[in-house]
Amino acid sequence: MARIEINHLTKQFGNLTALDSVSLKLEKGQIVGLLGPNGSGKTTLIKILNGLLQPTAGSVTINRLEPGIETKKVVAYLPDRNALPDYMTSSQLMDIYQDFFTDFDRQKAEAMVDDLGIDRKQTMKKMSKGTKEKLQLCLVMARQAEVYLLDEPIGGVDPATRDYILKTIISNYNESAIVIISTHLIADVESVLDDVVFLKEGRVILHKAADEIREEKGESVDKLFREVFKC
Amino acid sequence: MLGKLLKYEIPAMGRKLLPLYAAWAATALLLGLTTQSAESKTEYMVVISALLYTAIATAIFVMTIVLIVQRYNNSLLGDEAYFNHVLPVSVSAHIGNKAISALLWIFVTMLVAVLTAILIAIGAIIVSGAHIDLIEMFRELMAIDIDWPEHFWLYFFEILILTIASAVKTIMQIYAAVTIGHQVPNHVGLMGIGAYILIMIFENTVATMVLIPLMMKMEYAEDGFMDLNSVFVPGIIMTVLFSTLYFFICKYLMEKRLNLN
Repeated sequence: MARIEINHLTKQFGNLTALDSVSLKLEKGQIVGLLGPNGSGKTTLIKILNGLLQPTAGSVTINRLEPGIETKKVVAYLPDRNALPDYMTSSQLMDIYQDFFTDFDRQKAEAMVDDLGIDRKQTMKKMSKGTKEKLQLCLVMARQAEVYLLDEPIGGVDPATRDYILKTIISNYNESAIVIISTHLIADVESVLDDVVFLKEGRVILHKAADEIREEKGESVDKLFREVFKC
Repeated sequence: MLGKLLKYEIPAMGRKLLPLYAAWAATALLLGLTTQSAESKTEYMVVISALLYTAIATAIFVMTIVLIVQRYNNSLLGDEAYFNHVLPVSVSAHIGNKAISALLWIFVTMLVAVLTAILIAIGAIIVSGAHIDLIEMFRELMAIDIDWPEHFWLYFFEILILTIASAVKTIMQIYAAVTIGHQVPNHVGLMGIGAYILIMIFENTVATMVLIPLMMKMEYAEDGFMDLNSVFVPGIIMTVLFSTLYFFICKYLMEKRLNLN
């Protein structure tokens, strides 16, 4: 059974088609790279999986359920913006996660926050953009979720933090979970990807295992990406 | 889950309103203490403190309304919605959470208004140097034997329920207008105001059609009081029905038409 099933998913914003009959089946136990240039539909797809956008046509299911309360219990989502209340401290935000998500590991979150040098008593408002992103990621990755949907997790952080984030993603990865990373910084994430989905103008133009791409094409995913999406 | 949501929502509004309440109470006391100066050369003192008191009171009432709109808009339709809508919580609980918290803070604001009036009186008493035994005064008040008109308490409770129901309806009215406004992403504000006007027209039309004929039939009871029951009860029922309608508009739009951009 595929953990995530997407069938002929279409999303239109007025005259603009953000997703055009996208169909995908994604199994558990892998890290999937959702790759494409800006405006290719990556964020739209992730938002629909979270129930934040409604499809124009087609359907999505997670564990055979449409996005809803039950899927939200098992999905950990990192949005592409700061979505947490900015008047709260790291510690208070951990309280919220602990209250609402039974799979939240407080100790793990505290360890990650300390590793990244985030002050637990500082409010989000006083944090730099990068620190806010790091904190959001700590909270999301401290969950023992079945599905991780990470929208541009390394976009706004320094290279050292990128390494830490990727290390965290790999260490959290287990056979019963699926991690979907949406990004256009392929070179940084390539080493952790098992599966690759290329999105272009709302359509899936490639869905293959990362190793297969390297064997068949004899080049890295990053190089293939640059060829496919050459301006 | 509603309880958990309220645990965070109530302090979120309180952190903005509590400092204003404190300032309001302080100006009320100041106003009371300066009342004596109205007849002296320092007359300007009472004018300044009265102006301060009114300014803060206005700020609090405006702030309460702004906060009600802002908390709903930011949390459920703005950036924070990206967090709130991925919590394993029903849309009904989210809307209920906002409405209960808003209602609570409206009543706290009203309560603080009464308390500031008492503070003004206390300030004036202190300055006048008069010795007033408040406990004794309360005892005397309670000892007064008032001949309440027939149905007084019934009407009192009906008015109380109508007030609470009207406050809930106003909150839900605002929420519905804001949610409808978000259906047109490029003109959220304009659509919200437009939706609010349409809701008001709809509501007033229905209310007039139902309540006016009832008021025309109202008769005077034997004790000289009007039979208000025939208007209050339908009024309460209508207010509850309007609130329910607005709640379901919000719920439907958030469950079926949510499009966070």
